[in-house]
Amino acid sequence: MTGPALELRDATVRFGSRDGLRDLSLAVDQEERIALLGPSGVGKTSVLRAIAGLEVLTAGTVRIQGRDVTGLPAEQRGVVYLHQVPSLFPHLSVVENVAFPLEIRGTARTSARRQALAMLERVRMAELATRRVTSLSGGQRHRVALARALAADPAVLLLDEPFAALDPELRADVRESTLGLLSSSRIAATVVVTHDVDEATAVADRVLVLLAGGIAQSAGPRELLARPATLAVAQFLGIPNALPGQRDGRGRFASPLGTIPAAGPAGQMVAVFRSDALRIRPATASDQQTADARVIGVRHRISGTVARVSVAGLTVEGIPDGACPVGGSVALELRVADVHLVEPPQRAESGPPVGRPRV
Amino acid sequence: MDRTSRVVFAVLLIVVAAPALALVIRALGPVWFFPNIVPSGNAVQRFTEDFGGGRLWRAAGTSVALATLTGAGGTVLALIAARSLARARRGLRHVAEAGALLPVVMPPIALGVGVHVLALQLHVSGSLVGVLGAHLIPAAGYVTLYLLGVFSAYEWALEDEARTLGAGRVQVWTRVTLPLLRARLAEAVLLGALVSWGQLALTLVVGGGAVRTLPVELLAFLRSGDDHLAAVAALLLSIPPAAGVAVLARGMRSTGGVV
Amino acid sequence: MNARGGTAGWPLARVLPLVSVALVAAPALVGGAYSLAASVGVVGAGAADAAWSDGWRVLLTPETWRSLAWTAITSAIATLIALATAVFIGVRLRSSPMGRWLAVAPIAVPHVAAALAAILLLGQSGLVSRLAVGVGLTSVPADFPALAYNASAVALIATMAWKEFPFLALTVLAVLDTRGSALEESAQTLGATRIQAFRRITWPLLWRGVAPAVIAVYAFLLGTYEMPALLGPSDPVPFPVLTLERSTDPDLQRRGEAHVLALTALAATLALVAVHQRLRAASGDGD
Repeated sequence: MTGPALELRDATVRFGSRDGLRDLSLAVDQEERIALLGPSGVGKTSVLRAIAGLEVLTAGTVRIQGRDVTGLPAEQRGVVYLHQVPSLFPHLSVVENVAFPLEIRGTARTSARRQALAMLERVRMAELATRRVTSLSGGQRHRVALARALAADPAVLLLDEPFAALDPELRADVRESTLGLLSSSRIAATVVVTHDVDEATAVADRVLVLLAGGIAQSAGPRELLARPATLAVAQFLGIPNALPGQRDGRGRFASPLGTIPAAGPAGQMVAVFRSDALRIRPATASDQQTADARVIGVRHRISGTVARVSVAGLTVEGIPDGACPVGGSVALELRVADVHLVEPPQRAESGPPVGRPRV
Repeated sequence: MDRTSRVVFAVLLIVVAAPALALVIRALGPVWFFPNIVPSGNAVQRFTEDFGGGRLWRAAGTSVALATLTGAGGTVLALIAARSLARARRGLRHVAEAGALLPVVMPPIALGVGVHVLALQLHVSGSLVGVLGAHLIPAAGYVTLYLLGVFSAYEWALEDEARTLGAGRVQVWTRVTLPLLRARLAEAVLLGALVSWGQLALTLVVGGGAVRTLPVELLAFLRSGDDHLAAVAALLLSIPPAAGVAVLARGMRSTGGVV
Repeated sequence: MNARGGTAGWPLARVLPLVSVALVAAPALVGGAYSLAASVGVVGAGAADAAWSDGWRVLLTPETWRSLAWTAITSAIATLIALATAVFIGVRLRSSPMGRWLAVAPIAVPHVAAALAAILLLGQSGLVSRLAVGVGLTSVPADFPALAYNASAVALIATMAWKEFPFLALTVLAVLDTRGSALEESAQTLGATRIQAFRRITWPLLWRGVAPAVIAVYAFLLGTYEMPALLGPSDPVPFPVLTLERSTDPDLQRRGEAHVLALTALAATLALVAVHQRLRAASGDGD
């Protein structure tokens, strides 16, 4: 089977009483897993529901395995949509829930139950087959919902914030086992909606960042984190440092922190980089800096300590090396390879989003 | 709405509106020759006539008086009952709900026949007082059930807070409970009034035909062949409940109701 | 839920709930008790004359049982029609506020008025009959089918269903609203057609929430007087009408019978209430 497993073209979705995302186009390749990443309220769930057929597109088309399903009702699309909170049928037992998609397709009850049990084995829920679903824990419900979805043998699987309802300690485990299960199934395309950057980068082969206005970037996780397309994307990802400056068109970018090599045409740019790209150490007499840098705050996190430094009227965040007390003078060392330049806000907003998705 | 739903809506509209339309049409005139759609004759004249029109207004007055007293009285009874039951143990509450349900589900005829005997003994049979007492029975039941529902969503913490701030029992009532429940109590009175307003069987049995409420007159007009005044009586009978239901529905919506 | 709540230190608190219930329920109980007493001749009009067993004889007459059976059947049919309508309307128009208003509207019309409207609409010289003449289907009132005043009870059943379906629709909507549409959506994306989703998911869960209300409606229709009085036949006599006739009969013996009939109705109602409470308790747990 060639061609994308799922394709959306120029789709416009209503969001409540007004139009949400407009002219949205995306494609998911065979056996690819993508994440729709964006802030709450941007319309990611609406896109998912539109793909599933639970909401109507005011414009555009949806294609699944090359077939135009735009006019088809949800039950004929071959798409299974999993709600954020698993919607298991409360009046059916665990195995009856999983057998549901088989039975409605006409499979005989005994055969359906057998297949359902096999599915439950794969999610390690077979011992609880006859239990009422109301007595299950969050993680268990998630597994049953997954088993039920797989029993429907969908071409496309849509997961709406799948791990958000779980306790944080469970999330990593459930995520891993879910991914393992999905990899070994026949699903052609998986779309995961999330507002959590870590989750998106952990589950997806490709991440589509949705911000107000549309798809801001479509990239693999590593590239996304290393080279965000716009300042808005960088800010959404939580990259703390954004230094405005001037690129001279001759291979140099001048910023308050100094000059770094940078290819590209002349113009105003913003340099974004993560905390671990900036090393902070106590200033010594031999340090020459273009500007006076002082520590204004220190934050202790499980992943490490970061220091916030005020320099040249800006605030930057980096990893302290040595004693850097608040108020102390420090020297800054930037790892240039980890710095990425993006356009400043005004320019980016007036035109189409930078970084059109690769379709 | 897709097309089938639109058809369903249209059919529903016809089904719901047709009876009301029939009443309005019939009320237009005293004489309804077959097969005319619209009646003829001077309707206005009949309302000024002493016999026809006067009866109607007197009956309406009786119904209003009964409804008001029933609403108020029933609410007082129900408030005391519901308030003290709302915080009771679950077992007792279930018994209480069944108790409040009894006057509601008891067929008015069955209730009326028994109450009639009691009314005779108390020498209030055939009087307004007797009928009022009879109406209070189902009304108190309905309003109790309603207030039990209200109290299940009540913020008891507010009363406790007031008491730790020094308010005595009476003050809690006058300064916290009643003000908080003002809207709901108004609805309760309305509910009790509506229960009384629509009663026919109870009024007939206990009132013995002497107490002439609007439903009683409606039946009398119909039995004597006067469709016209019966229709007018029916319309008069329907207007207050329509308004009352609208108010109750709005109240329900503000507390998360269904409509 | 804390049983004592804010009533610590008030001795009356224990007694007041019971007293209050008594206040509300007692009159009905007393009314029933009086009926019982009157039926055995202890009190009431026939106290002096009638032998205590005479009133109860009425339960043996075929007329009584025909009346009861006919009332039970017509009320059942009306209840089922009301339920079907309520479920259909509730599922179809749940997302339309105007639809909801319409579904609830008949509650505002008192039962007598609704019965009169039915006569004016469906009677042989009623509005529909006149429209039929206008369209050319009939020419005289007698050509139009007799929908009222006969044992087939078409007009009566229609009126009862019309009056009761709003109450059931309210219950249906309340159940559907509480649950939301996630379950139906899941069923849909799992491949179920609308009918399959309704039959396997919506209906089983709906019935649990609606069953008590259905019983309540049936109990009500069994005992209601107004509509059968205006629209019912004279043979068999609807049960509530029979009861009222006896209670106003100049023959004191008949009055005694009225009490017996009233108690029979009460017994039937209580049995249904017991079923109602059972259903409510059963549906209370589990989702």
